[in-house]
Amino acid sequence: MEHQDDEDLKPTPGERVKQVLKEKDVRQVLFFFVLFTALFSILGLWAYPRWMPNIMSKEMRGDESIMIWFTVISAPIAGIVLAFAMRSFIDIQRGDTPPEDGPAISGHTPTVVIWTAVSFLFCTVAIVWGMTEMNTWSQDAIAKESNAMVVNVTGAQWSWSFNYPAQGITTHELNLPVKQPITFNVISDDVNHSFWPVELGVKVDANRLATTVVHVTPDKIGAFEVKCAELCGIYHAYMETNGQVESRADFDNWVSTVKAQGGAQ
Amino acid sequence: MTTLTHNPAASGPAASRPVPQPKKSLITRLHMGTGMVVGIIFCWGTYFVLRHHFSSPYRINHDEGLTDSHNVNITLLASMFMWCLGFLIGIGALIGPFRWLIGKDLTAEEQLYLAGDGQDWKRYFRYCTDHKVVGIQYLVGVMTLLGAGGTMAMMIRTNLVTPGSHFVAPHVYNSLVGLHGITMIIALIIVSTGPFGNFIMPIMIGAADMAFPRLNALSWWVLFTAIPVLCSAWFLGGIPTGWTAYAPLSTQAGPGMNAFLATIIIFAFSTAVAGANITTTVIAMRAKGMTWNRVPIFVVGATISVALAVPAFPTFMAAMIQTGLDRTFATGFYDANIGGSGWLYANLFWIMGHPEVYVILIPGVAALMEIAPVFVRKPLFSYGAAIAGFAGIAGLSILVWAHHMYMSGWMPSLNGPFMVTTEFISIPTGLLFLVLIGTMWRGRPWMKLPMLSVYAFIWDFLIGGITGIYLSDVPADNYLHGSMYVTAHFHYTLMGAALTGAIGGLAFWFPKMTGRMLNERGGYISFWLVQIGFNVLFLGMFLSGAEGQPRRVADYGQVFAHANLISTVGAYSVGVGALILLWAVIHSARSGKIAPMNPWGSKTLEWTVPYPVPLVNFDEPPIVTSDPYGYGRSVK
Repeated sequence: MEHQDDEDLKPTPGERVKQVLKEKDVRQVLFFFVLFTALFSILGLWAYPRWMPNIMSKEMRGDESIMIWFTVISAPIAGIVLAFAMRSFIDIQRGDTPPEDGPAISGHTPTVVIWTAVSFLFCTVAIVWGMTEMNTWSQDAIAKESNAMVVNVTGAQWSWSFNYPAQGITTHELNLPVKQPITFNVISDDVNHSFWPVELGVKVDANRLATTVVHVTPDKIGAFEVKCAELCGIYHAYMETNGQVESRADFDNWVSTVKAQGGAQ
Repeated sequence: MTTLTHNPAASGPAASRPVPQPKKSLITRLHMGTGMVVGIIFCWGTYFVLRHHFSSPYRINHDEGLTDSHNVNITLLASMFMWCLGFLIGIGALIGPFRWLIGKDLTAEEQLYLAGDGQDWKRYFRYCTDHKVVGIQYLVGVMTLLGAGGTMAMMIRTNLVTPGSHFVAPHVYNSLVGLHGITMIIALIIVSTGPFGNFIMPIMIGAADMAFPRLNALSWWVLFTAIPVLCSAWFLGGIPTGWTAYAPLSTQAGPGMNAFLATIIIFAFSTAVAGANITTTVIAMRAKGMTWNRVPIFVVGATISVALAVPAFPTFMAAMIQTGLDRTFATGFYDANIGGSGWLYANLFWIMGHPEVYVILIPGVAALMEIAPVFVRKPLFSYGAAIAGFAGIAGLSILVWAHHMYMSGWMPSLNGPFMVTTEFISIPTGLLFLVLIGTMWRGRPWMKLPMLSVYAFIWDFLIGGITGIYLSDVPADNYLHGSMYVTAHFHYTLMGAALTGAIGGLAFWFPKMTGRMLNERGGYISFWLVQIGFNVLFLGMFLSGAEGQPRRVADYGQVFAHANLISTVGAYSVGVGALILLWAVIHSARSGKIAPMNPWGSKTLEWTVPYPVPLVNFDEPPIVTSDPYGYGRSVK
């Protein structure tokens, strides 16, 4: 866009822009730029909310909005790169001898500088966004730590078990009361696993003899899945179980049912 | 530096002088066959001696702490390394060092013989120091590895075609995943720097050979010995760990794991040797007048890549040696029960693992940057930005490893810093795109296979790069880590970018390497089948990842059925395309159209030498007077 073949006329900047915009390849680039930017933005806005599962916590909402908005933010970058590539591609020449030489442009410092500055800016936006989100999560966790319910999660080849110390029960299904801050203390009996309650949007590895902690506050009633996200041997694929976010009353009922069965499910 | 360049007999066409036959020399009788015989003798000999030792009631070193499985691991690892040593002795790789021990060296005739001077096809099966022979050996080796890894990929996708297909058993599936991974990683690390870095690069810089021709042959034949070792994993029960081989899963794994360890240690040795050699060659052996700002960009990229590999792979080697010690002598580096930590392994692994993806990527991109100016008939846009891009990536890549460990619990407080370094890599990466699209701008591209790869690269690497930004973001990675989304992302970068670059390089340099043109029709059909199939395959995998499917699962729920079916259909298309490319390469190398000396009208030095390339490449050492991108009509 910035390259000017003919500068004899010394036009004013305004005229120069107009002149450049009249050129066929500049217009083609602009067209493809708008097309690809729109395409990628729509893809981000449309696809991720449909592809990703139910949102059952603030963390999951944060994960999904990052996926969506990072796609939208990077759409113009993808757009500009693909626009130049596409414009070049539609002009491709067949034949057994090389086509005529193009202009000998071996660099253009302002373009390189602007390009670097813009990518630096986009990069900073991504970093600041991520940092803010991380910070919100940890602040949230600290604020809620005092009234959080503890669940001790143990991964073993190839099942999950959940110990609720306050309730005095141990189960293989993960039931959680809605709007209750939860602290998961995760550990492994054998090899590495990764505790992934999918719809809650958090994840942490289960390591042998080292407890890892993750906080989440489920804010929507419904079923979710618990999976293992770290290859842990033959039946890694089957190391999953069901989870349920339910009202406080339902949760208490469930606890007393489990207790009635002997405190272990 | 080799003495060949100083030998007056060595200049001039090979056919015009008598073939030197060193008398009474062992060298003339050694080849791949003798190497295999000696290697197998060493391997089985070690195996039986150790088996006997460990089953003997009178054995020394009878340690209560070591169980039978430790002894099996010792036996197997020792046998594998002895195979490697035996092969190298049998093929004559160590004759030079043996001579040094007695204060001598190879004679000039022997060196010429080792260089394959005037020999027929048999030199490809010998310890040949000619860089062009080594380049072809690497090319065949890479294609074999890609074929094996691709076959495993097809089996993986077949198993995942529907939920509960049970095409293979779960432990076989896990082995497929791990061995597909390591085979492809090894193949991709050498895919550009092996064939083109050895065959083309010395000619490109106007050198007569590599700086250390014998090390060059050594790097290839050491790598060769790793291939049977890796294959043996299948016969020893496979590997259950994936290619990341996380401890403690790896320390507890069955005997097949030994094959994995040995392969990595042998491969790391080969890479270190090759990396030192290529780096030295580029620094020390450039033609007169080839100042640093006139070095072709592929040479710069390959050098940065191997220079990055030199510190990276020893870390992997060290990680694997420790895994090996845990498995053989119960040391417990990674055993939390006796004070070790799996996080130590994860750190060592990823300190190699993240530079490694750029070791793979950079030469592929550099090859495409070499191609683009030739086919758009314009200079490379901003040579400086290209180098800044490569150097920036290489520099930052050693500071990003823990982004693979955000969710490991190792050190959550470092997630922020690692997120910053990781996202900053997008800046030098962006420069690579700028160089390519800047080169295209206002040029008239020539529709040829190498150029098509440039377009495919831009599309694929853009998707791979942008999805990398999400993954590097800690909150989003909470969801995405360990999911199929990651698998799709890194296939876009490794396969979509690096392998596409290497295929472009193959189409580009094929005429110089084989003397014939690559079959265009076959190439086009393969290109479109592979590229369309690839995008269907991995866009499907982004979908299943976003839906929440973990990676490396042998089976999955009904909710992921559509996405996986899409991926499998795409995979078959890639498979068919790859077979067509294989056919095109073999067919063209045997009976393709004879290539002119410079079919693309390129200005780099390798196109100034005839085919077959003379032993010392240039009759007269070339003198370089300008950069190699002097295309285009002048503009004001």
